[in-house]
Amino acid sequence: MKFTKLFVFCFLSILFSVYAHAQDVNVSGKVYDENGLPIPGVSILVKGTTKATASDFNGNYAIKAPAKGTLVFSFIGYSTVQESINGRNRIDLKLIAESLSLQEVVVVGYGTQKKSVVTGAISSIRSKDLEKIPAGRIEQALQGRVSGVTIAASSGQPGATSTIRVRGVTTFGDSGNNPLWVVDGVVVDAGGIGFLNQSDIESIEVLKDAASAAIYGTRAATGVILVTTKKGKAGKLTVNYNGFSGFSSPAKTLHLLNATQYGALLNEKSVAAGGSPIFSNVSALGVGTDWQKAIFNTSAYRYSHELSISGGSENSTFYTSLGLQDQEGIVSTEISNYNKKNFRLNSTHKLSKIFTFGQTLGFSRQKSVGIGNTNSEFGGPLSSAINLDPTTPIVEMDPIKANAAPYSVNLVIRDANGNPYGISSIVGQEMTNPLAYAKTRLGNFDWSDDVVGNAYLEAAITSHLKVRSTFGGKLAYWGDQAFTPVNYLSATSNVLKNSYGKNENKSFAWNIENILTYSNKFGNHNLTVLLGQGAYVDNIGGGSGNTLFGLPISDYRDASFNFDIAQSERSSATYDLVEHKLTSLFARVNYDYNEKYLFTGIIRRDGSSRFGANNKFGVFPSFNLGWVVTKEDFWKENNVLNLLKIRGGYGIVGNDAIPDFRYLSLVAGGNNYSFGNEGEITTGYANQTLDNPDLKWEETSQTNVGFESRFFNDFNLTVDLFKKTTTGILRPINIPGYVGVTTNPAGNVADMDNKGIELELGYKKRFGKVNFSINGNVAYLENEVTYVATDSKFITGDASFQSMGAVTRTQVGQSYNSFYGFKTNGIFQNEEEVTAYANSAGVVIQPNARPGDFKWVDTDGDGSITDADKQFLGSNIPKYTYGLTLNLDYKGFDFMAFAQGAAGSKIFQGLRRLDVGNANYQTEALGRWVGEGTSNDYPRLTNNDTNGNFGKMSDFYLENGDYLRLKLVQLGYSLPIDAASKIGASKIRLYLTGENLLTLTKYTGYDPEIGGGVFGIDKGVYPQARTVMFGANLQF
Amino acid sequence: MMKIKYFFIAIASVSLGSCTKDFVDLTPKGAFLSDNYYANQEQATAALVGVYDPIRKNTGGFENTIAMMNAGSDDHVAGGGGATDGAGIQGFSNHTLTSTNIPGSFWNDYYQGIFRANTLLVKLPGVEMTEDLKERFTAEARALRAIYYFDLVRMFKNVPLLLDPLTATNMYDVEQATPEAVYAQIENDLLAAIPALPGDVPAATESGRITKGAAQAVLGKVYLFEGKKPEAAAILAEVNGTPGATNKYGNKLLANYSDLWVVANKFNSESLLEVSHTSAGNSDWWFWGSGADEGNTLNVMVGPRSYSRPTGSTAPDLPSGWSFNCITQDLYDAIKADPRFGATVFDLKALKAAGEADYIGGYQDTGYFLNKYLPRKSDVRTGGGAAELNYKQNSYIIRLADTYLMEAEALGSGARAQALLDAVRARVGLLPVPVTLAAIKNERRMELAGEGLRFFDLVRWGDAGAKLGSRGFIVGTSEIFPIPSRELQGTKLKQNPGYN
Repeated sequence: MKFTKLFVFCFLSILFSVYAHAQDVNVSGKVYDENGLPIPGVSILVKGTTKATASDFNGNYAIKAPAKGTLVFSFIGYSTVQESINGRNRIDLKLIAESLSLQEVVVVGYGTQKKSVVTGAISSIRSKDLEKIPAGRIEQALQGRVSGVTIAASSGQPGATSTIRVRGVTTFGDSGNNPLWVVDGVVVDAGGIGFLNQSDIESIEVLKDAASAAIYGTRAATGVILVTTKKGKAGKLTVNYNGFSGFSSPAKTLHLLNATQYGALLNEKSVAAGGSPIFSNVSALGVGTDWQKAIFNTSAYRYSHELSISGGSENSTFYTSLGLQDQEGIVSTEISNYNKKNFRLNSTHKLSKIFTFGQTLGFSRQKSVGIGNTNSEFGGPLSSAINLDPTTPIVEMDPIKANAAPYSVNLVIRDANGNPYGISSIVGQEMTNPLAYAKTRLGNFDWSDDVVGNAYLEAAITSHLKVRSTFGGKLAYWGDQAFTPVNYLSATSNVLKNSYGKNENKSFAWNIENILTYSNKFGNHNLTVLLGQGAYVDNIGGGSGNTLFGLPISDYRDASFNFDIAQSERSSATYDLVEHKLTSLFARVNYDYNEKYLFTGIIRRDGSSRFGANNKFGVFPSFNLGWVVTKEDFWKENNVLNLLKIRGGYGIVGNDAIPDFRYLSLVAGGNNYSFGNEGEITTGYANQTLDNPDLKWEETSQTNVGFESRFFNDFNLTVDLFKKTTTGILRPINIPGYVGVTTNPAGNVADMDNKGIELELGYKKRFGKVNFSINGNVAYLENEVTYVATDSKFITGDASFQSMGAVTRTQVGQSYNSFYGFKTNGIFQNEEEVTAYANSAGVVIQPNARPGDFKWVDTDGDGSITDADKQFLGSNIPKYTYGLTLNLDYKGFDFMAFAQGAAGSKIFQGLRRLDVGNANYQTEALGRWVGEGTSNDYPRLTNNDTNGNFGKMSDFYLENGDYLRLKLVQLGYSLPIDAASKIGASKIRLYLTGENLLTLTKYTGYDPEIGGGVFGIDKGVYPQARTVMFGANLQF
Repeated sequence: MMKIKYFFIAIASVSLGSCTKDFVDLTPKGAFLSDNYYANQEQATAALVGVYDPIRKNTGGFENTIAMMNAGSDDHVAGGGGATDGAGIQGFSNHTLTSTNIPGSFWNDYYQGIFRANTLLVKLPGVEMTEDLKERFTAEARALRAIYYFDLVRMFKNVPLLLDPLTATNMYDVEQATPEAVYAQIENDLLAAIPALPGDVPAATESGRITKGAAQAVLGKVYLFEGKKPEAAAILAEVNGTPGATNKYGNKLLANYSDLWVVANKFNSESLLEVSHTSAGNSDWWFWGSGADEGNTLNVMVGPRSYSRPTGSTAPDLPSGWSFNCITQDLYDAIKADPRFGATVFDLKALKAAGEADYIGGYQDTGYFLNKYLPRKSDVRTGGGAAELNYKQNSYIIRLADTYLMEAEALGSGARAQALLDAVRARVGLLPVPVTLAAIKNERRMELAGEGLRFFDLVRWGDAGAKLGSRGFIVGTSEIFPIPSRELQGTKLKQNPGYN
């Protein structure tokens, strides 16, 4: 009813505006906040006109307005208030901060809902939370702030993506588990959200329960993240600037052996295998080279500038912004940095009484330079720095050596003085001098340009009925460019002919949605019905790559594709993307009785191009119920429990993130052979797989129950319990090899459960002049595979390490991709222990073991150690994730600390190359077994490791992955208003931020936070940087 | 207002169009639906190429046949970077293979070839092309099927015998056939194929395709493994002709033994069945060992690690490799005085001792590398793809010296056997020795060292237990591989005796 009144009033006020003009009065007053403190800079607009003013430093204002007019008070961070003048001359007004506002709304997909009547498990982050997080990738801003969302950076490379799992691992595979990102109603593919600028974001909502996410049907199983960008507000033009600059350094370096320690251990290894010592005088080796010091930058520069202008009139509002971000990496900085520029324009226009038009448009350009391998045992600066021997110098300064092989006979890389970078004669394969390596990658970069936007037209047919048509799209271009000079990094890594190549890709996605919303109030019955129809097409496009070989140049700065290079010295590759289409119908009903009894029901029907004729369409229903207990009459208002809302629901959602045409048997090329003696290739075609027309939707059903409460006035507590069951997980069926197909057909082969509890607790209080708030969240998650198709008892894991092969396995009763290997039971201290280690039948289990070798657990008791003795050794999925934010402010000072962490997972620590016998060790190796009683957990070192102490996947490689990280600390100071006003600003705030200042963990690698398709696989992951920044917020 | 109306009309028309089922019914592009394929000669040819594709397994991919079979013999160690570098090759080398460490590809790749042959044989009658060509395609498909089964039956012994493509409904009903039945089918396929195969093919465009001589050579070898010596001798005589002279297909021993290992000498006159490699596929790590990988992987595998030479060294300039298949001291001692030593063994141990070259010893390093397949600097790919994976040296499955010695073995004694043995020795400047089984065995070891034949020779002669006992070989078990565990899950297949 309120809505109608407002409408009528507005209508009347326009109608009688001429009349009203004649009766202008002078209105003045004061604007203050909940604490009675004046708010300067509040925009006060005479409704229906462009006449406006702003409150002064004491919150006072004065304006001439029609006696029967209305004043609109607005200020960022506060609820806008419309106040009828009714002939008054003085109006003092209290503005209420938005977070406390009862009118707080939550974006729920195709609309918003008052938070008080939301029935789903939806976590939100607001712009004011985001403002204090230094601009980086948006995923990082979410980490630790929303319960039940596990986020782990896949690398500390600037601009790198993070892996996000909403309520656990929902399905098998990597990309299929990414949540659905919807930016202003445009579905953008996962990972493609780097274009977003943090300051432009008004809110982020995570739809966690199926009943909320069901409005996104087939793509909602892995959770939906809704991003809403800022819109302009009518009134005074607002200019905002937020910028910082700072320096990053590594938070931790590994303790590796120095040259003397290394020499001694290598001698010991060689002698143990019957060889002779490698170094005659190990103490002469000294400390040697610290390769980590050579690659890490302790003052990598980073800055960000974000500027926005917003404003508008009653009929048109706009928000526009510019952003510039630049970040140097802490590893091999000359080949590790990131730059982003972005622009945004959002506007809304009231075309007539009925029609409203709006649009959003964001553009970004990203350029990143990467080190090549950010988590790989096969080379790159990190892996090389860890594995290279400390006896090789960074630069070979000894003229005798520098003028001998390999330096004299190869095109080795040299430093600025012409001295060759050291080449190890002891450690080979892909391990190369990281400084020389960096020189071979200069000028290489990845880039991407993204344009994302939408436009809508809305018709308010009646005050209850709205029709909205939206067209949205994302146009993405991305690619890379690389010049590789002729070089000799080692006998294994060398390039005889230079090359210059680039890849260019394009993809376009569009969607169209038509939505009808009916909203009305019948007495105490509030009803909103939404009917929608949509069509979605993505993956339109393709790409091509070209490489030229043998350019007549040697420096990357001279590289050009304009050189005339013979056709035989060019290679190219071109591909088309396979379109993915969806057609959908959906409906939602929201009903509540007096905001006390709540109901939401959703149904969506999707058809996807990825499924066979028999199962093209899927229907996804859901419902949620809620009861606001404290609204009952029997519940007397009290100071103990102020608010209690109990809610729960159930829903089914789908997942079509599988490769295309898996239901068809295709005859495809790539089964080639070369006939004749001229090296020509003839393309061979063959059936790739067997037909499976019955391929059907993978379904995820989820039950969610929870409550929201406020107690003792200052505490907020939200608790959710959920159980999510995924059935018919789509995965290639591992059929017998004798069938003879190269690609396994897809099938619905497994089921999986995720169960969890999420808790968000907040406390906010004012003590004298100190505002204090603390918000914490913790989530517990349990993942269990409940069924794997009968023909195979397990699915080989997705993580592997060199010759160990798979180090994880997916099997019923275990969590997805659990670590799987041998269990150690101490170390044989002497020969007697070897012979004494027998099974029940008296068979000596490891007759060939030597003292100092691991005692493997003979799980099946058959008297020998075979693959059958492997067992599950732990999960890489954190059981607990948590975050804690503390905010304090006192007068002009504000302080924020944010900590985040995870617990209950293991990390595979695979930093050392297995097949490079001479690779360096971490100092843990100094505690190895060297004789009876010396160690029971670190085996002897030998070049002839027949027991597989290091070669077998075992719990020796697993470490506790628990960590607690002080992610952010910020101290800010806002200048007094009158000082700010001297330069015409309404706000000047200066701040100092520290990022990743402290990480508490027992993990021995660089960083316990390791994302990726399978979490916690460390092969030398690019660590997160520690950064200290100084910044400023300005508002005009 | 008009504009708004058009906006709605546009949206409505797109929206309505999207509601139908057709909107989400897409046809794949860049590939064919199997129902429509195999229609014409072009498609049949492409399908035949698909049947050839797995033959590259001889030296293609990390799990290639020569590297594997060498590692299991007394002439080579597994080598590599460490005791776990290639669980399959290491496991075969010390005869500790299990159903889980046996590389499944030794089973799967051959069955992929068989599946494609079976599919083509079913489809060929309906293809629009000349009958002559159909006959030749049929013969090639059957000969290749025989070659694949021959490897399978020798490696795994108890294998399913599939002559029709399986479907999703009957794929779990399959049982293993007896080795005799498999051998009978191999003979049957080869005998049927031989008459329809060409005696010779245009070298530039078709060499590598199965010829009459190649199929006969394979059949002779099959008979020999079956113990059918007279049949073996008879068919091999067809291939060998007069010892030392040119046979009826134009084959002749190369005058210079070391020329056999010159990369450019593809499909030379001594070659009967040869696997072709090229760098034109720009092989790269992400499709290594798959159907599109056309490079020779054995080359990089057998190269020494971190090889380097001082200035002015006389040692050859070599790219580095992964030090697999190092030659054992036993073979080194046996072949040291043989004229074929230099072509067979790259004695890096001696070069290092002389200060002429340096390298980092890998696992089980002996310092002796397999020169026949050593990667060559001149053969290093400088274009697209990974340099390691684009070596283009072809490899032999059967060459004339092999068929000479096989025929001699089948005959056992007599003038022709002597002449065959003499011809092989004379080519490298060795004087005749009296033909005996022992002499033939020794000659095979010297002549064919490192070509992946030794293990099956030892098994055929019953010598494997004696020669390989110290390596862990168990008589009655280690002659064959275990069936990969995947093949036993949910199927009717049974594991080979001695394995679990």
